[in-house]
Amino acid sequence: MSELRKLTFGYLGLLALLALTVASSFVDLGGFNVALNLAIAAAKAVLIALLFMHLTGTLPRLAVAAAGLWLIILFGLTVIGR
Amino acid sequence: MSGTESIAFDTPQRERRADTFAMWVFIGSEAMLFGAIFLVFLVAHIDFGPAFAAASKHLSLPLGTFNTAVLITSSFTMALAHRAALQRRWRATVRALAATVSLGVCFLIVKGIEYGNEIHEGLAPLLGLPFRYAGPDPVHAEFFFGLYFMMTSLHALHLIGGIVVIAGMIALWRTASPANRLRRVVAVGLYWHFVDIVWVFMFPVLYLINR
Repeated sequence: MSELRKLTFGYLGLLALLALTVASSFVDLGGFNVALNLAIAAAKAVLIALLFMHLTGTLPRLAVAAAGLWLIILFGLTVIGR
Repeated sequence: MSGTESIAFDTPQRERRADTFAMWVFIGSEAMLFGAIFLVFLVAHIDFGPAFAAASKHLSLPLGTFNTAVLITSSFTMALAHRAALQRRWRATVRALAATVSLGVCFLIVKGIEYGNEIHEGLAPLLGLPFRYAGPDPVHAEFFFGLYFMMTSLHALHLIGGIVVIAGMIALWRTASPANRLRRVVAVGLYWHFVDIVWVFMFPVLYLINR
């Protein structure tokens, strides 16, 4: 039962974050709208990965860490180089 | 049959762990593909911010928001399918999988309606269609719409792939052993959730630029 409650709360949390990100786009936060939107998207991704995808165990985490590392290099070097 | 699909594994548990790891590696490679495209968009957004913001206002925020909710709901039903499969409640598993496929098809229909509207308004710079954009800086607005159609159609292709695989799983349901049913649900579930995560980033990046 508690597993079902966790999934349901996660789902409702995702919908709440969606409402928050849409609502925030109607408010002018200067340059922070994009940053807030991306932070909310990252929070949603973490919720989905942990609750729905059961991101546990060494090997899956290693795959995610490797992908994250290469994305950081890709984005980091591009932004620094400009 | 020991309940494994491949003779390379002694036990279903071992095979499932190998499957899961392989799916995460595959998801990592998909993250590279989408990451590179997001990077192109980010750089273009930095350079042509005002043109992109003005062009983004021509996308339908209500339809985009609705579709995001549809895809999040489909991830939820996919998670329910996984839970039911773990408990060997097979009818509930198939029902949840069917709900997931239906929501995926719903997403594609709404996306198709959006595409139709955009083509009708002359905002689709592809396949030789006329591009009639009345706002400022039409050259870079055309770039925005080109990226928009490229990113969303690549995402839609991934969704179609997921729908085909789940539909095939349901069609072959009776011939699969319980261990294989669970393995397939876990593997396709990981893929489906990843495609959802891609959209979770695409939605604010494309629809919610307001400066």
